[in-house]
Amino acid sequence: MIEVEQLSKAYGSTVAISDVSFKAEPGEILGFLGPNGAGKTTTMRILAGYLPATSGTARIANHEVHSNSMAVRQNIGYLPETPPLYPDMTVEAFLYFVARIKGLPIGDRNQQVASAMERCNLSEKKTVLIRKLSKGFRQRVGIAQAIVHDPPVIILDEPTVGLDPKQIIDVRNLIKSLAGQHTIILSTHILPEVSMTCDRITIINQGRIVATDTPENLTARLAGQLGYAIEIAGDPEQAKTVLNQLEQVESIKSLPDEGLAENHHRFQVMAATEQDPGSDIAQAIVNANLGLYALARNRASLEDVFINLTTEEAAIAIDKDADIEDSGNGKKVSNAEVPTITEDSDSIDNSGNVEDSPDEAKAPTEETSISPALETSTEPPTTDSPSDSDE
Amino acid sequence: MNSIITVISNILAIYRRELQSYFASPLAYGIATIFWLLAGFLLVVLVFSPDGILAQSAFADQAGLQTAPLDIPYEFTQIYLGLLGSLSMFVLPALSMGLYTEERKQGTLELLATSPITNWVVALGKLLGVVTFFITMVLPLLILESLIVNASDPPFDLKFLFLGHCGLILMAAGILSLGMFISSLTESTVLAAILTFALVLVLFVIEGVASGLQGPLGEAISHLSLLKHYNNFTQGVLDISGLILFLSYVVLGLFLTAQSIEAFRFQRN
Repeated sequence: MIEVEQLSKAYGSTVAISDVSFKAEPGEILGFLGPNGAGKTTTMRILAGYLPATSGTARIANHEVHSNSMAVRQNIGYLPETPPLYPDMTVEAFLYFVARIKGLPIGDRNQQVASAMERCNLSEKKTVLIRKLSKGFRQRVGIAQAIVHDPPVIILDEPTVGLDPKQIIDVRNLIKSLAGQHTIILSTHILPEVSMTCDRITIINQGRIVATDTPENLTARLAGQLGYAIEIAGDPEQAKTVLNQLEQVESIKSLPDEGLAENHHRFQVMAATEQDPGSDIAQAIVNANLGLYALARNRASLEDVFINLTTEEAAIAIDKDADIEDSGNGKKVSNAEVPTITEDSDSIDNSGNVEDSPDEAKAPTEETSISPALETSTEPPTTDSPSDSDE
Repeated sequence: MNSIITVISNILAIYRRELQSYFASPLAYGIATIFWLLAGFLLVVLVFSPDGILAQSAFADQAGLQTAPLDIPYEFTQIYLGLLGSLSMFVLPALSMGLYTEERKQGTLELLATSPITNWVVALGKLLGVVTFFITMVLPLLILESLIVNASDPPFDLKFLFLGHCGLILMAAGILSLGMFISSLTESTVLAAILTFALVLVLFVIEGVASGLQGPLGEAISHLSLLKHYNNFTQGVLDISGLILFLSYVVLGLFLTAQSIEAFRFQRN
């Protein structure tokens, strides 16, 4: 239904997206996930026929979006980044206007407008001027205008921005209910959104597609590897040596000790793929006469996948260190907080020692970047901060 | 056939929305109010003031200066419509300034540009909307004028009055169309108003500039003048070249608007 092949777009010398290819099958919800400035909106605009691509093709319902723009426009509903609303119109009048310019036959308009308002929970606001609506309601009017003419393809650019949690759930349910008869592509930088609503996810970063897969598969690509956060009392070097002797252990890293009792140390242990070294770790530490105070398993969540896939290592290090500096922690030890789902539902601080310099950081490829988040090395902040468009 | 119906219904959709926005806009009412106040004031001054038409004609009678009989209704039509034309020069840029700047600011241009509707249709619908609003601004003045017409002896030649108003509206359509183009160039409403006003000013005074130039160039430029052709209308002359000029401005404005929106979509970043 949507076929995008090697799409590139440059604004002058700035490359917004390059070599983007993906497909959406009829009736599917495709999530377009990426950090701010990754090229999501640009891609959406090209798909909607609002911007021409510099090179490559995008086809919707077998029509090329640029050369056959009118045919494409008849087949899409589009919610841009900012909902396109006329503040001086009432909700109902606006939806009638959209129904007219989308070429909906007169006979269907009443029913379609009423149905769009009902589906977006706007019926009570239908005679209210749009400029008097709250941001959440405006967003819903924006969604309503995208679906009022029942288009086969719906393009939603950040549909849940500005909504409260309950409205977000409503909108997600609405989007799910539209799947089947409609092909939907929605962009977002919010992870739970895609994992909850989408059949497939395309992750984009710095204008490039990093991965396309189902949410389950994306998680599974990392779930094979387990990690343990442990706290021991005793000689840290000895602990490392002991743990390194275990076959199932792939790597060990020290975590910052602050906040721990005297002579207590924390480590992050990564298991070799498809191995669960939990009991062996416990055994080894106890056998070495080191006190074992905590042992918590953590595995990659979709969030880790996202961070791994979309973040250049240097960039993440600088970002996170900057955060920590803001909070007034003047310690030179870099400390990266990587959100993880831990089995005991405690989140764990992880840190790495300086291993990669930012100079060596390269654009993420699938091989290099699908390393667990916990491996992410950090580097003290440098003066130049990374911008989204940096290549 | 079907496509023609689609085009017309699209134009009507844009037209209706445009009108709705004018009638819901305090700014439009403000502009109309000022226009009515000034137009009414000018009318009263023109007719009743010590230097007005009536006083002058009475003075001429008393002094026995009846060299040529003074056709007061004719004089009135010409002078009053001339004043309305000058007044419109200030009002029209204020009407056209928001046509596209608002669409750009609200992001609704993105809706229009991704709907199955051409730039031409949008521009034409908008122009019809704003011209209609201008006509509704002129209509109440007809009540004032009808008072004068009724009281007049010798009676008015209504043909002159009718032609004059047609000329006014045609000229307004031309200015609004060019103003629409200018508003499509920028996101700033104020800038659009200023640029449009400057353009209108140039088109009004261009005849004076042209008269300084000799030869065919000067003559060609003088034909672009709004004032010259408008004055023909107010004098009761059905000026075909003026008609064509005003309509050309309308078409030029529409064409440039459609092109600039297309170009805007292509270079946007």
